[in-house]
Amino acid sequence: MARGNPIDSVKGFGVTFKQIFKKPITQQYPEYKRPVYPRFRGRHRLHVHENGLEKCVGCSLCAAACPADCIRVVAAENTADNRVSAGERYARIYEINMSRCIFCGYCELACPFDAITLGNEYEISEYSRDDLIYTKDMLLAEPIKKVPVADRDLYDTPIPYYQEHS
Amino acid sequence: MAIASDRPRIYESSRVPSPIPTVLQVPEELRGSEDLLQVNFGPNHPSTHGVLRLIVDLHGENVVGLEAVIGYLHTGFEKNMEQKTWWKAITYPERIDYLSFQNNELVFVLAIEKLLGLEVPEKATWMRTCLCELNRIHSHLVWLGTAALELGAISMFWYCFRERDSVLDLYEMVCGARMHTRYFQAGGLAEDIPRGFFPEARKFVDWMPKAVDDYERLVDQNEIWLERTKGLGLLSAEDAIALGQSGPVLRGSGVDWDLRRAQPYLAYEQLDFRVPTYPNGDVWDRYKVHMDEMRESTRIVAQCLDRLEGMEGQPWIADDRKVVLPPREELHTSMESLIHHFKIVTEGYRVPEGEVYVALESARGELGCYVVSDGGPKPWRVKFRAPSFVALEATATCMTDALVADLIAIVGSLDTVMGEVDR
Amino acid sequence: MTDPWWISLIKAFLIINLLLLLFAYMTWVERKVLARMQLRYGPNRVGPFGLLQPIADLIKLIRKESFFPASAVDVLYIAAPVFSSFTALAAFSVIPFGPGWHIWKWNVSGEVANLPIALVVIFALSSLGIYGFIVGGWASDSKYALLGSMRTCAQMVSYEVSLTFAVLGVVLMGQSLSLVDIVQKQASTFWFFGPQFVGLVVFFVAGVAETNRPPFDLPEADTELVAGYHTEYSGMRFGLFQMGEYVNMITLSALAVTLFFGGWYGPWAPLGPLWFLLKLFVILFLFLWLRATLPRLRYDQLMRVGWKVLLPAATINAVVTAALVVAL
Repeated sequence: MARGNPIDSVKGFGVTFKQIFKKPITQQYPEYKRPVYPRFRGRHRLHVHENGLEKCVGCSLCAAACPADCIRVVAAENTADNRVSAGERYARIYEINMSRCIFCGYCELACPFDAITLGNEYEISEYSRDDLIYTKDMLLAEPIKKVPVADRDLYDTPIPYYQEHS
Repeated sequence: MAIASDRPRIYESSRVPSPIPTVLQVPEELRGSEDLLQVNFGPNHPSTHGVLRLIVDLHGENVVGLEAVIGYLHTGFEKNMEQKTWWKAITYPERIDYLSFQNNELVFVLAIEKLLGLEVPEKATWMRTCLCELNRIHSHLVWLGTAALELGAISMFWYCFRERDSVLDLYEMVCGARMHTRYFQAGGLAEDIPRGFFPEARKFVDWMPKAVDDYERLVDQNEIWLERTKGLGLLSAEDAIALGQSGPVLRGSGVDWDLRRAQPYLAYEQLDFRVPTYPNGDVWDRYKVHMDEMRESTRIVAQCLDRLEGMEGQPWIADDRKVVLPPREELHTSMESLIHHFKIVTEGYRVPEGEVYVALESARGELGCYVVSDGGPKPWRVKFRAPSFVALEATATCMTDALVADLIAIVGSLDTVMGEVDR
Repeated sequence: MTDPWWISLIKAFLIINLLLLLFAYMTWVERKVLARMQLRYGPNRVGPFGLLQPIADLIKLIRKESFFPASAVDVLYIAAPVFSSFTALAAFSVIPFGPGWHIWKWNVSGEVANLPIALVVIFALSSLGIYGFIVGGWASDSKYALLGSMRTCAQMVSYEVSLTFAVLGVVLMGQSLSLVDIVQKQASTFWFFGPQFVGLVVFFVAGVAETNRPPFDLPEADTELVAGYHTEYSGMRFGLFQMGEYVNMITLSALAVTLFFGGWYGPWAPLGPLWFLLKLFVILFLFLWLRATLPRLRYDQLMRVGWKVLLPAATINAVVTAALVVAL
């Protein structure tokens, strides 16, 4: 059996000792939030047009694209006195079950109207599973918790059309 | 497969237990003895990777009987994939082997492309190679960290995870997710490579060899580490082949076999890399194979970066409207694109009838994907040839003359991922 | 010169509390040092620099439900941790930590009890302490704990021999079994770590094994036996086992300081107990450093090192020392 040189055995002690003087790599998470890269896929968001109408027209393409079947869309007709979206129909119910979602981003690829995108927020833990079913109001609202994002220009080029215009 | 003819004999004849090659049976003279202690290692145990359950018969500290019970992590991936369109099924394979996720994704995407006869742009091929090698480094780092932890070298774990984190950062930057990226799509890549990838990846490539030096300094010459790994968990080349081993386990047994070189896929033909082989078939040699592969993979990544840097502006996905989602900006202007888009998302693209087996070298060995298409929008049958599952079959053979502590080291050295074993 | 009984009592009370404090902050130091060697911060949430962490741990351990296996042998199961922590604490009483002081009209010596057979007492108590570990593992009626107990049994018994042989040289040179006398002898001649270097190395290695510290932590090898002999213990019973282990470690380090590094004497400045503490921490740091760097030994390798390397080395060292002491 080949033996190690006893002197070399001691080398390892140097490796561990020298780390004492290095800065720890741990990030002090709740106080310090590492900027995520702009492509990072986090919490979903629904978007509205500048005139206040919703972009989502309730076509259910996102629901069809979802590999985890976590999106539920029930569409209804827009009427003259209740105009919600820019199209003919709108999503009366739009729910995402975040406990099933695998954050693959297929919904944002599928959406032809750039209505749904995956934002960068990752702090989406809840105490109950019921709270993880995000309704339309929650998805339309600005996320409560924000996370820093790294330089969009450097790490996300070219900017996909749908993110630029949403 | 080239077995070196001048390699040392590890042991005489075969050690594969019979009649069941995966079960080490208690020797006749010990059966029914009161000194036997049957212990369950797992499914919840500090050192079983995931949920492997080992029923071990101990005679004092010696392991005399062993049976592995698997299935605790069965999730039915293969069956699930048959219910999804080809496009949607791409998100599944990467969750099978969650450590070499990118290789798993690639093998399924390659299978689709082979059935479709799709040409992939050069840039996508090189980027795939680059990411797969980064993935190999990631997987080996996790292996090294946990295997060392199991032998009691606790610090190694943190050093490995430092580098692992930089790999995952690269994935997050390019693919949008740290693991399970779905970045490879049939036809190429989902998105273009961001400009910032190259400097960051270069930084990693420059740093990684130094980090490997550090790991080796920590354990390579260490007397205790040598004692704990050399001459243990022996697996001869013949037995390894008989048991269908592949990857680092096979190469640690002295068989010079690597699919990246034996049947090159992606850009491996144009790359300069070495396949590390060690002849002794013990835990130590498997460890050395992993270490050398990390260095080689770093070299491959560097070569890929050289090529990719000159490819700015080139297409990253094939221009096939029947399979590939049309560019986003066309959705608002072209009716035809919109129709294609709807068709692909809702119904999925159709893949010609046929069956295909694609194999590649994942971090754990030969990862195969057998796909049958009935011409419809969904795979008719998907089957993965999981290297971890095969590696686990060698457990009983390796376990001859082992103590309890060796059991942990040997199972660790086979590098199994339970997600892949149970699927 | 012996102290009045009530001074000894006060000293014993103080020392036990100091020792418990030292144990509590030893866990903190261990976590901090290990963390820094592993690129982490270690505890830093409870109080400044995590200094209140040991107290938080204590509260947590006390409040936790003390789980009790249904098939455990109850009296022994409960007695084992108490026993092992008691012997560990008692062993420290003979360690001298200062030269002794004049306080008003009394002479206060620098140890709780100055026994002429102090060394023997320490080894006797630490041998007794082993029973706590063995019985605890056996009484909890678990296979992992039983395996842990078996390992403890074999390991402790075989390393105890080397440990005792290693200090024989010091005893011969100091010509006494009293620790105070040995320290005084070192002060009047030289510290014994030089001439007794082999003894020191054997003592340290055997000491690491004796206290179940990595790389000799086989009795509780977490990746093999889950937690060894204390697998089935939780709450403060587990805490008592931990306490016994840490106090043993502190006692052994203190013994090393006393036997090989001149006790409370420093190379300059008569600081007394401060020198003692400083040397103690240097040795304790070595324990932590070992833990951060080395993989765990295997059972048979452990036995081999104990019987085939350490014991012969210690024996030869003792014989050579004896010959030299007689000759000179």
